[in-house]
This record gives sequence, structure tokens and C-alpha cells, in this order.
Amino acid sequence: MNAHRACDDFHRSSERLRRDYLGGPPLTRRQVLGLGVGGGVALYLSQAMPVQRVLEAAAADAAAAPNGPVLVSVFLPGGVDLLDTLVPLHDYGRYADLRPGLKVEGVPLAGTSIGLHPSLARGVGGGVKGLYERGKIGFLPGIDYSNPDLSHFHSRHFWETGLITDSSAPGWLGRWLDRAGSRDNPLQGVSMGYGLSPVMRSGRAPVAAVASPGDAGFWIRGVWGDAYDEAMAAYARLGRVRGGGHALSASREAARLAKLVADRLTPYGVDPLASSVAYPEDSDFGQRLRYLAAMISKPLGIRVADVEADADFDTHDNQAELTTLLGEVSECLAAFQADLEARGLSNRVLTFVWSEFGRRPEENNSGTDHGAGGLAWVQGDRARPGVHSDYPDLNRLDREDNLQVTIDFRRVYSSLLEQHLGTDAGSVIPRAGSFGRLALVQ
Amino acid sequence: MASRRAHRGWTEAHVRRAFWRAGFGATPHEARHWARRGKGATIRWLLNGGPSPAPRMRAPRLDGRRLDPENEWGHDVLWWLDRMVRSRHPLQEKLTLFWHDHFATTDQDTPLMLAQNRTLRRHALDRFPDLLESVTRDPAMLLFLSLADSDKESPNENYARELMELFTLGRGYSERDIRQAARALTGFRADWRDDGSVRTSYDREWHDAGAKRVLGKVGRFDWKDVLELCVGHPAHAPFMVGKLWDFFVGSPLPSSARAHLVRVYRRSGLRVRPVVGAILAHPGLYGNLDAPNMVKSPVVFVAGALRTAGQGIDRDAWTWMLQAMGQYPFRPPSVAGWEWGASWLSSNSMRVRFDFANYMLDTARAGVKDGSTPTSLSPRTAVARARRAVGDPWTSARTDAELMRVARRVLADESDESADMCQRALRHLLISGPDAQVH
Repeated sequence: MNAHRACDDFHRSSERLRRDYLGGPPLTRRQVLGLGVGGGVALYLSQAMPVQRVLEAAAADAAAAPNGPVLVSVFLPGGVDLLDTLVPLHDYGRYADLRPGLKVEGVPLAGTSIGLHPSLARGVGGGVKGLYERGKIGFLPGIDYSNPDLSHFHSRHFWETGLITDSSAPGWLGRWLDRAGSRDNPLQGVSMGYGLSPVMRSGRAPVAAVASPGDAGFWIRGVWGDAYDEAMAAYARLGRVRGGGHALSASREAARLAKLVADRLTPYGVDPLASSVAYPEDSDFGQRLRYLAAMISKPLGIRVADVEADADFDTHDNQAELTTLLGEVSECLAAFQADLEARGLSNRVLTFVWSEFGRRPEENNSGTDHGAGGLAWVQGDRARPGVHSDYPDLNRLDREDNLQVTIDFRRVYSSLLEQHLGTDAGSVIPRAGSFGRLALVQ
Repeated sequence: MASRRAHRGWTEAHVRRAFWRAGFGATPHEARHWARRGKGATIRWLLNGGPSPAPRMRAPRLDGRRLDPENEWGHDVLWWLDRMVRSRHPLQEKLTLFWHDHFATTDQDTPLMLAQNRTLRRHALDRFPDLLESVTRDPAMLLFLSLADSDKESPNENYARELMELFTLGRGYSERDIRQAARALTGFRADWRDDGSVRTSYDREWHDAGAKRVLGKVGRFDWKDVLELCVGHPAHAPFMVGKLWDFFVGSPLPSSARAHLVRVYRRSGLRVRPVVGAILAHPGLYGNLDAPNMVKSPVVFVAGALRTAGQGIDRDAWTWMLQAMGQYPFRPPSVAGWEWGASWLSSNSMRVRFDFANYMLDTARAGVKDGSTPTSLSPRTAVARARRAVGDPWTSARTDAELMRVARRVLADESDESADMCQRALRHLLISGPDAQVH
């Protein structure tokens, strides 16, 4: 019965998906203006315009919305366990039965029946726990979608695209940029890392991946002056050639974007991005968050960004590592929030932390297998504090012995799109109306 | 011009396509040689390897010493790159890369990863069931996907799930099949020694000998039975040939070709070589010779640039550059391997590919010493000289025009340095430009 519903869900949405979300005709100017966000300036730009005009337009884009909201997606890969992270103190006996070997003494969270994993108190100002106590976190236990798929790749794809589909599709943030972003500023959507995250992949809107903004510049060994300028001009022109099939188009587009990113970031010098806040040493995740906070502070027109933790939460046989994994997450995210506050950005940046699924309530001997009903949270000055979804009932597991899902992630996406980014969710998430909304932003 | 003549429609452009897809590019000498020999001989050589004119280069030395893949940071990657660059059987290395992606394993000790790499290479072109059996009991895999220490008391589903989803079927199984297969797969154990090394073994006491129902069959299955059920399942052959096709060919697999490849695969007893041979012979591989329609993965880009330029491994920078480009061998991002295709080309990875050309310009083959370039070169001969130095790669007409323009403009400045700088700029663009990213 459930399985059939899932298939219906997929088939019903797939026809509309193809038409509306997987690359229909480009929007007309009026339609984009109707969404009321961002792209006003970019609408007048054609794709083949000179770099300098693109840069002016991007700077103008940033200037037009100096306090524009920024949404940051933080992905914790592997499937974070709900039970050991937000410990159900209200049903601790049942929890201890399910987790005889793994069970954690949760640190009680005031005003809730939840106990936090002790590692979540690590970091500046008491880490994630401190953030919660200062009213900057809203937790979402039991988040997932109905009839969860326990494959990392399927489930992750659903979360990345906001679609329950096995077709390839742009990411939900990339789709938001397609609808509401600029056509000429690739830094409006930034993946912090070596590659573009599927979350940020777009249909038309330019986006960027940035591993280390200080390194974005170009040089050619043993070539300088006019010869260098000639070579770079040739490279830039080749980046603007149209046609030639999808691989060659992708290669040319990558050259064009790499050049654009370099032109945008190089003026800030080698390490213009020093932070007054200490991030954990030796954490690449922390480093990426540090870069991101610094970049948001510059007039680059960043609207959405994504960061992936280095951690692997797929704790089949090593759940004890949660202590380390959650500790690093807590330290890095607390530093990020402190950095945003120190830079005066915290009133416009909202962070959404998620994982592709949860884990099975009953442990195997040293870990936990894939399960349903994980956790997510929103974080920032604008996050509505509290616990916003029901904790799954440990005594009412589904027929696969997994937790019951208590909130659909697409409800959260729709709410974030409307309440934080100010965009009609229906233009990004299919059938957004059917998921309802939840107050997540204040 | 004569050497570009068709040998019954088989040209140097065809040879280059076949060599890039089945390996890491053709040197100018290889392109001429195999264009003369014809399609059949070329594909036979690719499938079987042999002494014919692979590049002659010496074994690499770094700081005067041989590579030490087990102990020195980054040398594992260099050791494999060296095989790709100097191999007399490039397809074997290419398929080893394919299997490393298919059976992606990561985060295990280097000696275990190198042992797995040898296993993948040994079986790369032969019977898939043998490869699958070897990989299943491979220590790095046993540890990575938690099959070691999955016992009858608490079977771990990690390997069972990926076995069906990623390794053999893709679809056509249920959650129940995974759970039952996990029971059948119990029995492997890992014993850690005081020196930190590990020994894996199979222990009947740990195996769940009860009856299971897997993929519609019931029996007291053990791990080998489950592997047989998977490769015997109707979904396996279409899944496997489709994945191989996608690796070698940039266009969708026509249903008639799929049916043909499935027949070839099944009739051969699930051997890889005949399927790859059929793919290499298929006209679909040779479409768009004037606009290559696959993006080179970072490993293919780096190994290919070195191989076609005749440049051996002589520095460890290639390791971190591959990491920065997004394909760090022995460390795939997850059990699903890397995401192939246009997604290799983020703005950042493109910048690293640009920077790679700077390191190439610092090598003996592609580099230009001060004062080494004749100052009398015409723009046309300057471009030809630059092309030869980097292995005469494919370029589009647009790139040819841009190279000529750069040569004319830079050489117009008659300063002492302009001839050298012109060479460096041209070689850099040939290595780093958009055309060099596709094959």
C-alpha cells in the first residue's frame, strides 16, 4: 500500500516536473519580476556580454540588496542518527532497550524533553547547545519524506533536488536561482568546495564553486605583460564560444566562469578574509565556513551557499565516532555563527543543517543501519527557536522497524523559500501547497 | 596529409578517439601507426596490449629515489599515474580506474588499497563474477562496507545494499532482499594485530546458516550464493553493459545496441573483454570527431596530458592537483564513486586544470628554457612547434584561430623574451584551454 503511494507520488509529479522544473522555456521578464526577488538588474543582460559589464552588474546586484537574505545549506553526509544526537529523555527506558550498547546520557535541553549528545556542547559559547539556549536554533526531529528510500544516493538526490524523482534535475537552490537569481553573477550561488554541489546545480543561472577564495587567480609560468594579457584574452574568448555539443559547451562555460570568479575575487588579495573568530584548527569544514562568512561580508551578491561537512555519519559499525563527528560539527557551526555576528551579518544569514536520512532505532552490535526519520535544524538570529516537529514515537515503529516520519523536508524547504528568501515556494518545489508551511523564521 | 588518409574510413582522428576513450590518449606516433594498421588491429591491440609503440620513458624517480607507494605521501597516486602514462596496455589501466569507481573504496590503509588495486587490475577484463568474488572478500572492501564482523547475531546491511544497488543490479530488489542477503553474507571477520595491521578471514561460526529468501529464491545461502544470485538476476547484464557504455561513450545507449551488448556479455560467460571490444567497435564511439562529447575526468586529463606529451612522472604535485580537481585516486568521495561528466568542470576545478599547465611548463618535455626558442619563427611555425611539444592535441577551428592570433600579436613585439613567452603561452593554452578538457 505504502509502496504504491510512493509510485503514484512519483508518477503524478513526473509529468509536471518535466514541464515546469526540469528545464521548460526561459522565463519572460514579467514572470521573473513577478517573483519579486533578486534578478531585476540581471534581466537586461545577455549571456555574451563583456566581463567588465558583468562585474558592474554583479556589483550593482550586491549594492541593490546590501542586506539581502542569505541561505546556507550545510550537509552532514551519511545519515545522522536522531536518537543518539537528540536523545529522547521522555522515553529513555525504551531508548535504552533499543540501544543497550550505544545509549548516550543526553544533556537536558531546558524547556524540552530532549537531551543533546554531550559533544554538541563543544565550541565557542557552548557550541550548538549554547546556540539553542540563546534562541538561535530550531530543531526538526523526525524529518524525512513518506516511504523513505534507504539508499544514500536516492535519498540524497531527493533532498538535493527537493523532488522525489530518480531523473536528474537541478538542485533546489539552483532552481531558486533560475527563478529568482541573476543571469550574470556566478557568485550568487556558491558551493564551498572543489566541485559544484548538486544542491546548487542550476538550469540557467550561473553559479560557482569556490574551494579557497585566495587562490582564485590565474597566472602563466614565465609569461607576463602584453603576452600574458593576449593569452588570457584568448582564454576568455574561447570561454564565450557557443555550440559544439554538451561536453565542449560545459568546458567553455567552466573556463568563462573560472575567469569571472578570478576577476571577482582577486581584488581582495591573498588572504583578505581574516576572521576575528577562532575556528577549529585542522578542520576543512571550519575553513570552508570561515571563507564563506568572509565572502558574504564582501559585495559579491551571494544569495545561497552550500557547505558539506567532512564527517561521515554512516555509522554502521562505529557509532562511537559520533562523539568526534558531532563535536567538530558543533565547534565549526558555533564558530560560524560567532563570526557572522562579529561581522554584523547574522541578521541576514540563515543556516539549514541536514542529512539524507536517519538511522534504525535498534542498534546492530556496534552501530546502526540506515533508517527513516532523521534530524535537521535551522540556525541563526532569524531562526525561530524551539523544537518544531514531533519526536517520532519509539513505541510505534513502521513495518520496517524504522521511525515514523513526522515532518516532510519539502515542507521545510517551502517554508524557508517563502519566509527567508521571500519567494513563492510553488515556483521551486512541485506541489508546494500540499506540504503546508511551518514558521521557521522570525 | 598522406598519413591522415583513411584506411577504409579509419583515420588518425579515429585512433585518437579510441585511445582517449580506451586509455589516456595517443601520441602522434601512435596515431600515425594505428591509422595505417586499421580499425581491427587497433582494437585488438587495445584489448590485449602488447609491445607496439607505447611511449618509451624511464621509470620515475623523485629526488633521486624510486617511488615508494606504500610509505610516502602521494606516491600511491603517482605509482598508478605512472602505470597509466607508460602502460603497454592502457585499457587495462582505464578499466582498473573504472572498477575503482564501480567498487569505490576509500579511507583504508594504503597497503590494503594497493592490494585492492592489484586485484581490480588482475580481473579488469575477465569474468565479472570472479572480480566480484575477489572484491567481496578483499580486505579493504570488507572493512569499508562493514562486512568484516557482520555476524549472525547482528548482520550489517551495508555491503548487501551496495552489492545490489551499485555493484550488480541497480534496481529490481527490495528492502527485504537486502536484509536477507545481509544474513547470507555473514561470516567474515577482522582480527587486528598489535602492530595495527589487520587480518581478515571467514569463520563458519559467525555465519547465519539458516534459510533465507533472496531475489525470489529460498535456500541456506552463503556469501557466494548471494553473489551468484545477483549476477544471475535478469537485471544484471543490462545494468553492467549500460554502465560500461556510459564510461566509454558520451551518447545514450540505443536499445538495439543494449540488446547486442547484453547478448555478447551473457554468451561470453559474463566476461568484460568482449563487451568492451563491442563498444570500441561501435560507430557510436566515433561520433562528433570534430566536437568531442565527453569531459575528461581529472585522472584522464592529467595522465593523458603527460602521456601524449611523452612526459614521465617526475614530481609529486600531480597528487594534490588531482585532489584539487576533484578526483583523488584511492579516496573516492563515497561508495558510489565519482560523479562523471560535465560536473567535473566547476569553476574551481577548471582553475586547477589551468594551473596544471603551469606545472607542465616546468617539465622537460613541455617547458621552454629562456633563450631556447628561435626568434625567427613565423606565427604558423610557432604554433606548430608548440603543438609538437605537447603531443599534437585535437583543437577546434576556433582554438586554432585564437592560437594564431596570440602568436601574431606576441611575436609582433620583438623583445628578447617574446619568442619564449609566445611558446609558453601557446603550450599553456593547448594544455589548459576548453578543447583540452574533452575527448
